[in-house]
Amino acid sequence: MSEITDFANAKVGTEAPVLSHILGRTDLVMYAGASGDFNPMHTDEVAATSVGQPSVFGHGMFSMGLLGTALNSWVGIENIKSFGVRFTKQTWPGENLSTLIKVTSIEEIDSKTLVTMDCSLTNQEGQVKVQGTATAFR
Amino acid sequence: MTDFSSFVGRATTNSVVAVERGPVANFAKALKAEEPYFYNINEAVKRGLKGIPALPTFPFVMEHWGHFSEIQPENKITDNPVIEVLGPLMAKGGLILHGEQSFDFERPVVSGDLLEGKGQVVECYQKESNGHVMTFVVTETIWVDAKTKEKVVTSRSNVIHRQ
Repeated sequence: MSEITDFANAKVGTEAPVLSHILGRTDLVMYAGASGDFNPMHTDEVAATSVGQPSVFGHGMFSMGLLGTALNSWVGIENIKSFGVRFTKQTWPGENLSTLIKVTSIEEIDSKTLVTMDCSLTNQEGQVKVQGTATAFR
Repeated sequence: MTDFSSFVGRATTNSVVAVERGPVANFAKALKAEEPYFYNINEAVKRGLKGIPALPTFPFVMEHWGHFSEIQPENKITDNPVIEVLGPLMAKGGLILHGEQSFDFERPVVSGDLLEGKGQVVECYQKESNGHVMTFVVTETIWVDAKTKEKVVTSRSNVIHRQ
């Protein structure tokens, strides 16, 4: 475990505090309502199982969003410059999703400091759900 | 393989979106954000923000909430090149996947913003992967402040059809 370090003092290799969340079906209903994505694969168990899915599964943008929440908590909303991910696996109710955000470079650009981070969301077995990069000024 | 290069540069949207406090705060709640500045305007103002800030992925959903008909431009784009590419493919089966998503910010989106978005297809191509024909449609939408025309955020999506 790395020690908790605030963003202002982060160095290459420093990790942000982890956000963990056990995915529940209510989370998916809430996200459907908040996003307007009412694809029944995310909220309607009958529809999802009728096409061979084991259950409803999470919105990819819920995974990215949860990672965004952890990113925001660490760097502050006004400092986020970019945030991008690739979606690799579906998420399932009952999975314990955890964020990993780690500083990979720190550079001076136009008298500002730009911090680049690798970021990912994984389940309890380390399976990567989304993976990408974020940059933030400090 | 089909040549989709003629779709590159085609406009996907020209929307105006009003960013309101309720949807922004509700989105933060749905994504488990606990910072008080998502829920209390005084806390947001203390940070120097002009309104309740939106989490970084909100631009992906803001048209659902703030796309009111009376604020849309007169020359509203009605055709959809993404559907033109993917529709005929879907009619023959296969899966639509959201492959990648990214956002590039000049400043946070905040409640009270009136944003103008112009989108276009920036890449459109097919390739074969593990015996599947994959069709990639990459779109980019640039959101600017409707009054000052200053850039706020660029949203980029890669949608894939897998045969």
